[in-house]
Amino acid sequence: MDSWVIGMMLGVSVFLGSIALVALMWAIKKGQFDDKEKFLHGALFDDESELNDAYQREEKRKQSVKKKEYRPE
Amino acid sequence: MSDKIACDHCHLEFSKDVMIEDDGHYFCCNGCQGVFHLLSDEGLDKFYDKLGDNKLAPPSSQFEDASNFDAPAFYERFVSNSDDGFCEVSLIIEGIHCAACVWLNEKALINMDGVVGTNINYTNNKAKIVWEDNSVKLSQIIEMIRAIGYDAYPYDASLQEEKANKERKEYYLRMAVAIFATMNMMTIMVAQYAGYFSGISASIKHILNVGEWVLSTPVLFYSGWPFFKGMYYGIKTKTINMDTLVATGALLTYIYSIYITLTHSGEAYFDSVTMIITFVLVGKFLEILSKKSIADTLDIMSQHLVSDVKVIENGQIVTKNVNDIVVGETILLSSGERIALDGEVSEGSGNFDESSLTGESEPIYKAEGNTVISGTVSIDADIKYKATKDYAHSTMSNIVSLLENAMNNKPKIQQLANKLSEYFSTAILLFAALTFLGWYFYSYNFEHSFMIAISVIVIACPCALALATPVATLVGLSIASKRGILFKEAAQLETMAQADTLVLDKTGTITLGKPEVVIVKEFQKFDTALLYSLLSNSKHPIAKAVALSIYDASLSCYELDAFNNIASQGMTAMYNGKMLAGGNAKLMRTIGLDIESSSEHSEFYFSYAGRLLAKYELFDMPREDAKEAIKKINKMGIDIIMLTGDHAKSAQKVASLVGINMYEFELTPEEKATYVEKLHKEGKTIVMAGDGINDILALASSDIAIAMGNGSDIAIEVSDVVLLNDTFSSLYDSFTIAKRTFRMIKQNLGLSLVYNGITIPLAMAGYIIPLIAAISMSISSLLVVANSMRIKLGYKD
Repeated sequence: MDSWVIGMMLGVSVFLGSIALVALMWAIKKGQFDDKEKFLHGALFDDESELNDAYQREEKRKQSVKKKEYRPE
Repeated sequence: MSDKIACDHCHLEFSKDVMIEDDGHYFCCNGCQGVFHLLSDEGLDKFYDKLGDNKLAPPSSQFEDASNFDAPAFYERFVSNSDDGFCEVSLIIEGIHCAACVWLNEKALINMDGVVGTNINYTNNKAKIVWEDNSVKLSQIIEMIRAIGYDAYPYDASLQEEKANKERKEYYLRMAVAIFATMNMMTIMVAQYAGYFSGISASIKHILNVGEWVLSTPVLFYSGWPFFKGMYYGIKTKTINMDTLVATGALLTYIYSIYITLTHSGEAYFDSVTMIITFVLVGKFLEILSKKSIADTLDIMSQHLVSDVKVIENGQIVTKNVNDIVVGETILLSSGERIALDGEVSEGSGNFDESSLTGESEPIYKAEGNTVISGTVSIDADIKYKATKDYAHSTMSNIVSLLENAMNNKPKIQQLANKLSEYFSTAILLFAALTFLGWYFYSYNFEHSFMIAISVIVIACPCALALATPVATLVGLSIASKRGILFKEAAQLETMAQADTLVLDKTGTITLGKPEVVIVKEFQKFDTALLYSLLSNSKHPIAKAVALSIYDASLSCYELDAFNNIASQGMTAMYNGKMLAGGNAKLMRTIGLDIESSSEHSEFYFSYAGRLLAKYELFDMPREDAKEAIKKINKMGIDIIMLTGDHAKSAQKVASLVGINMYEFELTPEEKATYVEKLHKEGKTIVMAGDGINDILALASSDIAIAMGNGSDIAIEVSDVVLLNDTFSSLYDSFTIAKRTFRMIKQNLGLSLVYNGITIPLAMAGYIIPLIAAISMSISSLLVVANSMRIKLGYKD
C-alpha cells in the first residue's frame, strides 16, 4: 500500500470527526445543553404551532429592534 | 362524600358541593376560576392539553403591590440593559410544576406587547426576560405572571453563579477538543507503537507524525490556553506554579516533536503533549465543577430588602426610597415590617424582634421615646418613628460596610497542593535543565540530551498531582451534599480539616431560637380551648409557643370579648362576663393574684375569674443532637467556644446543658468579631457557626463560616458552608468529611510523589521510552482517582 493512501485516510477521518466536533461545540456555545429538562421535554413541544411561535418570536424581536433604531431622539 | 371531582384548573380533587360551578366547569376556588377564564380569553387554553394529569397549586390571590418593582432603586439593582437597548431581568418563577407551566409562562409573556424575549429554565425555574421599557413595565410583567397563577421575584444574576456557568462552558469546549484529539491520537499511536516494535517504513512514520502534529496543535493552543495564561500570571508575580510546568513541558515537547518530524529522526512525543494537556485540564475542570455556587439559595435574600418606606408628608402617606429619607422625617411602620432606618418612636408602642442584632429571642417592648434600630422587625407594633440617622449611617448599613471589610480581609490558607506544586515545578524544571547539561557534557549529542531532558519533564508532568486534590475534594463534596452540607468552594474542605477551634453562637445555632414549653403545672382542671382562644389572639413568641404545646385538632375556639394586649406583661379578655388573663407574674399581680416568680425560665401564667389555673415555663432549648455532636467534635481535639449576645444566666444554662466549658456572654456583633480576631492572633484556625445577622461579622472574620440552613439569608451569604438540614450532627459530619478528604488529598499527593520519585531518576538516566512515559502517566492518574473513591467507604448513601 502506498503511504499516500494512509495519509488520505487519516486526513479524511480526522476531517469527518472534526465536523462532528465543530457541531458539538456550536451546540454547547448556543446553550443547547444548558437545561437538561428542556432538552428532554423538547420532544413534547414540536408541532406546527411551536414552529410558528418560534417564527413569530423572531419577527417580534426584529421589529422591536427596528422600532428602536428608527425612533427619533 | 366520595363524590370527588377535579378542579378544572389545578386538577386537585374536592367534593362536588364545595366547588364553584361555572358553565359546566368546576373550580375549587376563585383563583382557579379566574386563571381558567384568563387563559381561555387569551387563547392559551391549550395549556390544559399539555398539562395532562399534572396537578397545580391553586393560585394565591394575596400579593404585595407590584408597583414596587418599578421603583428606580429596584431597576438599578436588578435590571440590566442589553446591547440592543432592551431591558433585561432575571426572575425566579414560583409554582412551576411541569413542562406545561413553562410553556404557559413563556407564551403568556411573549404575547404581551413589548416583551421581546423569554427564556425559562425548566430545571431551576429561573427566567430571563427581555422587554422594551417604553411599552411595558416590569410590574406589568410580574402582574401577568401572577395573573396566570404563578409568582415571580427578581434575583441578581450578575452574581458568581452566572460567571461560574460561563467558565464551565468554556471548559466544556476546551475539553471537547482535547478529548477528541486524544482519542484520535490513540488510534494513530497504536500504529506507531506497533511500528516501534516490529518495524515501520520511514515514510509511513512521517505521515503518522504529521497526523499527530495536526491533532496536537489545537489541543496545545486552544485547550491548553488556560495553562499559558496561568504561566503568564505566574511570571508576572514571579512565581513558578503548576501551569508553568505544564505549559513549558508541553510547549517544549511540541517544538521538539516538530523538529523530529521535519528532520525524520527519532521519536515524536505529540501524544504526550495532548495527554498532559487533557489530563490536567480534566483536573482543572473538576476543580471548577466543585466550586458549585449556592447562589440559588441566596437569591431569595433580595425579597427581604427594605427599599421603600411609607413617610408622612403634609399629613399624607407617601412611599419613598430609603435613600431619600432625611433625618427628622416621620416614618410609618406596620406590624410585621422591618425597620429601615435608626430612629425614635414618636407614636404608638409594641414589641420588636431584635434578634437580628442581639441574637436574643425575647421580644423587646418599645414605646414613645424609645429608640428603634434598623434591621429589627416589629412583631405587633403599629408605630410612627422619626428617623435619627439617614440610611447610609444607620446601624444596618454600618454592619454591611464592616462586613465588606471583614470579607476582604478574610484569611486564606494556601492549599497544600498549591504549596507543593510550587516547589515541585521548580524542582522539575531544574532537574530537566541539569539533565540536559549533564548529558550534553557527557555525550556531546545535543539531540539525545535534549530528548532525555524532555522525557524528564514529560514523565514528571503533574497529571496525578493535578488530579490529586480535585478528585478527592469532588468526592468529599458529593458525600457532604448528600448529607445536606453545602461547601461553597472545594478549598474549604482543606481549611476546615485543619481547624482547631469551633466558635458557636447560642441562640438559633445551639438552641432552636424559639422558646419551648419545658415545664407545665396545672393547678386546676380547665378547658384548654379557653386558653387556646386567648393565645390565638397574640403574635408574641411566648404565646405562640404555649399555643403550640396545647394545640390539638379537636380544640374549638370560643368567642372572646374585650381582648386587650398589655405590653410586656400579657393579655386579658372577657369570657361569659368573667376575666381571662394570660401573662407573666407581673400581670398576675396586677389582677390581684399573689405570685412569687423564682424560675430561671420565662413564665406564662393563665387565670380565669380570678383563679390561677396553670403555669407554663418556657426555655429556648438546645437542639436535640447538640450535646452528643459537641462531645464528638471535642474528642477530635477541637476547642469549642460559645459566644452569645444573651445574658449570663441563660448562657451558662445552655453551656452546661450541651457541655461547653468556655463561653462569653452579652457580646455585641462587633465584639463577637473582635473575639474571633483575637483567636486568630493566637494562631488558631477558626470555624464559626452562626445563624443570625448578629453573627455575620464574626462569621466573616473566621476561617470557615458555617451557617444554619434556616439562618438569615445574609448569614448564609457570608458563610462558606451551609448546613441545609439544620442539625448539629451534620456539623459533626462536616468535620469528619473534611478530615477524611484532607487525608485522601495527602495520600494522593504522596502517591504521585512516590511515583515521580521512581520515574524521574529513570528518566534522567535516559531509560524512559515514549511508550512507558505514556502508560505510566495514565496509571498514576488512575491510581489517584481510585484512591479518592475510598473516601466514600464508610459513608453509606
